Amino acid sequence: MSAVTNPGTRQASDAGAGGPLLEVTDLAVEFRTPDGVVRAVDGLSYRVEAGRTLAIVGESGSGKSVSSLAVLGLLPDTARVTRGSVRLAGTDLLTLSRKAHRARCGDQVAMVFQDALAALNPVHTVGYQLTEALRARQGLSRGDARRRAVELLDLVKVPNAKARVKEYPHQFSGGMRQRVMIASALAMDPDVLIADEPTTALDVTVQAQVLRLLAEIQAERQMGLVLITHDLGVVAGVADDVTVMYAGRAVEQAPVAPTYTTPAHPYTRALLRSIPSASGTGRLPVIPGRPPSPAAMPSGCPFHPRCDAVRDICRTEVPPLATPAEGRTSACHFAEDIMAGHDPAPDAAAADAPAPNDGPNNGGGDHE
Amino acid sequence: MGRYIVRRLAQAVGTLLLVMFVLHLLTTVAIQLNGTPAQAFFGDRVASPAQIASVERRFNLDDPCFDQPGNPCLGPFVERLGQYARGDLGTNLRGREVTDIVAAAAPNTLRLFSVVLVTWLALGMLLGSAAARWRGSPGDHGIRLSSVLIDAFPVFVLLVVYRYVVAVPLNRWSEQTFGENSWPPYWFKPSFDPSHPWATIVVPGILLGLAGSAAFIRLVRASQLESYQGDHVRTARSKGLGERHVILHHVVRNSSVPVVTAIGLAFVEGLGGAVITEGIMNIYGIGGVLWQAVQDDDVALVIAVVTLLTVVTVLVMIIVDIVYALLDPRIRYE
Amino acid sequence: MNDVGLVSAAWRTLRRRPDVIVAALIVLFFAVMAAFPRLFTATSPRTCAIREARLDPQGWGAAHPLGTDALGCDVLATLVAGVRPSLLLAFVVVGASLLIGVTLGLLAGYYLGWADYLISRTIEVFLVVPLLLAALLLLSLFKNVDLGAGTFDVILLPAVVLILFNWMGYARYVRASVLEAKNLDYVTAARSLGASDLRIMFRHVLPNAIGPVTALIPTSIAAVIGTEAVLSFLGIGVRPPATSWGIQISQGSEWVLGGAPHILIAPLVCLIAAVLSLVVLGDALRDALDPRLTA
Repeated sequence: MSAVTNPGTRQASDAGAGGPLLEVTDLAVEFRTPDGVVRAVDGLSYRVEAGRTLAIVGESGSGKSVSSLAVLGLLPDTARVTRGSVRLAGTDLLTLSRKAHRARCGDQVAMVFQDALAALNPVHTVGYQLTEALRARQGLSRGDARRRAVELLDLVKVPNAKARVKEYPHQFSGGMRQRVMIASALAMDPDVLIADEPTTALDVTVQAQVLRLLAEIQAERQMGLVLITHDLGVVAGVADDVTVMYAGRAVEQAPVAPTYTTPAHPYTRALLRSIPSASGTGRLPVIPGRPPSPAAMPSGCPFHPRCDAVRDICRTEVPPLATPAEGRTSACHFAEDIMAGHDPAPDAAAADAPAPNDGPNNGGGDHE
Repeated sequence: MGRYIVRRLAQAVGTLLLVMFVLHLLTTVAIQLNGTPAQAFFGDRVASPAQIASVERRFNLDDPCFDQPGNPCLGPFVERLGQYARGDLGTNLRGREVTDIVAAAAPNTLRLFSVVLVTWLALGMLLGSAAARWRGSPGDHGIRLSSVLIDAFPVFVLLVVYRYVVAVPLNRWSEQTFGENSWPPYWFKPSFDPSHPWATIVVPGILLGLAGSAAFIRLVRASQLESYQGDHVRTARSKGLGERHVILHHVVRNSSVPVVTAIGLAFVEGLGGAVITEGIMNIYGIGGVLWQAVQDDDVALVIAVVTLLTVVTVLVMIIVDIVYALLDPRIRYE
Repeated sequence: MNDVGLVSAAWRTLRRRPDVIVAALIVLFFAVMAAFPRLFTATSPRTCAIREARLDPQGWGAAHPLGTDALGCDVLATLVAGVRPSLLLAFVVVGASLLIGVTLGLLAGYYLGWADYLISRTIEVFLVVPLLLAALLLLSLFKNVDLGAGTFDVILLPAVVLILFNWMGYARYVRASVLEAKNLDYVTAARSLGASDLRIMFRHVLPNAIGPVTALIPTSIAAVIGTEAVLSFLGIGVRPPATSWGIQISQGSEWVLGGAPHILIAPLVCLIAAVLSLVVLGDALRDALDPRLTA
């Protein structure tokens, strides 16, 4: 399969004051598996600026978590970065030695993991884990470390912080544990924070609290935040930009507002439709089928077997990255049609194209 | 933590009493069905009833309940517990204090167990880490298969083969090669030599350790695999901590929890193995004493040693539980 | 996966491993030897001529294919005669332990409460005494009892003692599996539909627990054979006049350096072959039946 060539710098939404903090360009990651080599991330590019939030949205297996592990150099032994660069404050992390790469983690870029119960070490106290890096790397004294740990718990609004630093992760509730996880990522004041599904394991009300907390901290510290999630509904309130991933590729990248009003890729459109709304009473549309296994990628556009606007060309040709509007990209042959809110013209021979769900098929939509 | 230890100790005392009672009950039934073990004192000689009675008195077997099948003999049990509490384990058939015998034999058993423990840990760490490091390779499969075979290979057979088939030629060969007064001939001596306790215990200890090492190999492999891939290890790395710090404080620290449990369990299994090893290699240790007592029909000594070893087992289990709780906070806050 | 699926999948995995097939054949060989000793030798193990003591192996077809032992008895004949008590003991011990262990484990795991407390405490108490120590103690107490020479009489004492200290492993295993299975959705569903306790236990809970327990059986049989050898070596295992591999190993060990190593080697090889085959079988069964253990 041919790689999507991605002009990595073109989809910048609005260039912030200081340029990007984190810039990922044309990243590709492969896994060795018993069934052969599998490409988990293929030509992903994005950038995060200070004080801005990028949401990476996709189903599980879309490569969104793998790409962030690659940024931190935490890929398992079976995985390998085959292409691309990860620039953090101007330095390409992938060219550094493992040790030098590791040394930038925690202090320039830090990560909040999904399942805090597993991600925190059960045999060390919360206080120890919050300041472990400060003590080991910056030689903080025991007393200073304890004070700092209390500050960090206060920062993430864990009540009674002074007593709770001496407790162990299993003594915290799910939401509180996730706050501890966030606090431990913030310990060294990172410039960029990557949060991998930070709220997935939590109750809905707790989810909202944790997200609000993340947004507050991010705004206050002017960090760059990468929020990885499978839930497009979560994104609206917190993110500035959105990258939608499907089968290892970025299928749509855009600022958050236009993505919601005028999605430029059928996958994004389908994701938006499947968000339950408070007022909605009708049946919730679901995306038929399942994401493809990376070992058996469909020909042409990887999304075509599930697409409701599929045309012949989609089955044979990988769509190039289109720029349907300023600051937006979409990996769809018919990006402009989709963005304009109608389906592409039917194939000459095909009368059995799937019925479109919104609006009549007002043919000839090839040109604006 | 303190409360946990107290609760655990109380539980252990209960278990201990129950175990001693079960042993007592089984012994009593055996005596009731089988007749007095005092006869063994006289070997093949025919003893007069008066002689038998005096021996029975000496071993506290004179209570009439021993002649009534079904009677649990609570009286003698309480009496015996009292003796044990005073540190009196009774005497063997020849009248020697069991405590003296055990005290003389214990150092050799400790020697044996220290060799065994070193073998367990060394083999477990070495092969287990190797298997985890090269997971899925032929080496990993080889280590796994051999650990399965080692696990089930009877220590008894291993030692019989070593002592009767391998040791003598090895001993002769090393005498010729290194000279009679060098160390190697002692290592391969087919039986224990009290004047060179360490040298003659090393090889039997390694063999016994080998037999029990399979559990350690598998355990180290599994826990290292879990730790290398564990989420909390990834978190530690994401903080930019050095690899050595991560291994020490997150991988090794966390795998120490199951290792301690395994040491406890393996110790209990190893006790049986130690009896066989000491018996076959003529090592004058507690197990060797028991082995000899069984062959000599010295029932009083057998009962005392088995009881003692059972108490040791319970103690080891408590220690393991407490260390376990110290290492894993999730246990002590249950 | 349903039972049939699990069993046939297990069978398919097993068939593809040559070591398993060899091991199964060896076990089968010894089983046949135990059942039909006449097929292997026409000589009685009791016809011994001291004049013919310690003859070297003479090869197949001769009067003493594997030579004679210290008393002039035919080694092959004693070897064959020793299989039956060893295997019978192993089967009786494992079978009875299994029955006790599964029953108690099921009761404890299913009803919990005081039944569980009682059973769990009993398990704990019996686990504290190592099997070999308990056997040494009890069998040396019964050493001089004469129970007769019947097929079962000669193994009765070791069987009772080994069963007494061997059932706990199964009970613990079954109890854990039952606790796990009890909360599965379909068991809850069956209960809410009003299925009786017995029905739930036997139709839903037990089938879940039986796989991992089955995988333990070959290894436990091997362990009992090994333990029996130790006890016989000490003279407190299988009773004379019956013989067993352990007794032969004990007698043979004295003659290795006396110029007749075959007296030791013949039973030793049999013991090793039987034990290792059973272990290989057990390992393969575990792989096939207990998905939790495959890492």
